[in-house]
Amino acid sequence: MGTATKILIGFLVLVVIAGLMVMSSYNGLVGMQQATDAQWAQVQNVYQRRADLVPNLVSTVSGAANFEKSTLMAVTEARASVGRVQLPAGTAPSDPAQLAAFQQAQGQLGSALSRLLVVSEQYPDLKATANFRDLQAQLEGTENRIAVERGRFNEVVQAYDTAIRRFPAVILAGMFGFTPRPYFNAVAGSEVPPKVQFDFGGAAPAKP
Amino acid sequence: MRLRPAALALWVLSAAWAGAAEVIPPPPAEHFNDYASLVSPATAASLNGQLADFERKTSEQIVVAIFPRLESDSSVEDYTVRVAQSWHAGLKGKDNGAVLFVFAESHQVYLQVGYGLEGPIPDALAKRIISEEIAPRFRRGDYDGGMTAAVGAIMAAARGEYRGSGQTVADRKGSGSSGIPIFGILVFVMVVVFSIRRQASMYHGGGRRGIGGMFVPMIFPGGGGFGGGGGGGGFGGGGFSGGGGGFGGGGAGGSW
Repeated sequence: MGTATKILIGFLVLVVIAGLMVMSSYNGLVGMQQATDAQWAQVQNVYQRRADLVPNLVSTVSGAANFEKSTLMAVTEARASVGRVQLPAGTAPSDPAQLAAFQQAQGQLGSALSRLLVVSEQYPDLKATANFRDLQAQLEGTENRIAVERGRFNEVVQAYDTAIRRFPAVILAGMFGFTPRPYFNAVAGSEVPPKVQFDFGGAAPAKP
Repeated sequence: MRLRPAALALWVLSAAWAGAAEVIPPPPAEHFNDYASLVSPATAASLNGQLADFERKTSEQIVVAIFPRLESDSSVEDYTVRVAQSWHAGLKGKDNGAVLFVFAESHQVYLQVGYGLEGPIPDALAKRIISEEIAPRFRRGDYDGGMTAAVGAIMAAARGEYRGSGQTVADRKGSGSSGIPIFGILVFVMVVVFSIRRQASMYHGGGRRGIGGMFVPMIFPGGGGFGGGGGGGGFGGGGFSGGGGGFGGGGAGGSW
């Protein structure tokens, strides 16, 4: 075998190895991106679940004699504004502003619902009904689900964001358009999903 | 009750070290685990048997864990969902598991329901089981009655949702069905390695053939115990082994 042939074979081997590395790196990124989309769907599911509870909750509560109207209005309005937030279908948002708008609208609904439950403490007849207690349990469970799925969404997005910044994936990410994705902000003002508690002892709610 | 003493000791020890920090306990060895000695051994054994049978019939993994205290600064709902998730109760893909947590000192109860059981055990029902079956009895000090009623109510709600295989995950693991492929691969690798070695040593004049010949009988009788040995462990008491189920925060909590 001549030296030229040996060099050629060596070169081809290198090209094949590099190709395999690119392929596996690319496939890894695709998998992680899919995981963020899948988890985003879960997040939307649980938020939708909360939104779906609202009409039932509102109708149950408004059945109670002279229930504070402003509280009910706030819930209904927050529910409507959640529906107005436009997000791309099927994929996790890539625009931080979009996610922030989503988070803000959901946070308002959460606060309004939390306020509704606080106010309902003053209506013992309402609280005693089985329907209201079931709704309370559902709402409580839904807030937990939201916390869980949001947390998992942040985990997969952080893993993905880290992966596309690593070498050599960072080169591929640039070539194939893998852009970083935003995640939910940690506890900050009204964006916090409210912690639903039922033993307030008549304390005033923290937020209007 | 059959605990995993080493794992539990390690857990308690690490809890002591970590101080206020959080401890995720290792997966339990049984379906009914009373780490706080709250219920009588007879009741615990009976409920454990019922839950293991329930898994055989329905494939649903319902686990009870009674802890002395909450080893976390986090809230009970947040902590228990992470513990339940790490135990993998329920089958993979079906997510048909549920874990009932009791924290004796703080009088807290939480029923974590896996994704696949959220239909038969909605949050409102979970709440009702806790506030109507558990709390009143626990307040009277009737822990045996409370746990029996709660386990009965959970099984009644979840019955008929899934079909079981007649075996628990622990039964299947214990019977060695999963051990055989690993053992087979091990044997195959050994055979290949030794045949290469033997050929190599013959090529070099056979000087080291004796050593190769000694290794083969040493490994094969030892390996034979691998597949068969596990058979005895899984049956009898039942035993719990997580099937890979997931939890998303469904369920409800309460206190007594």
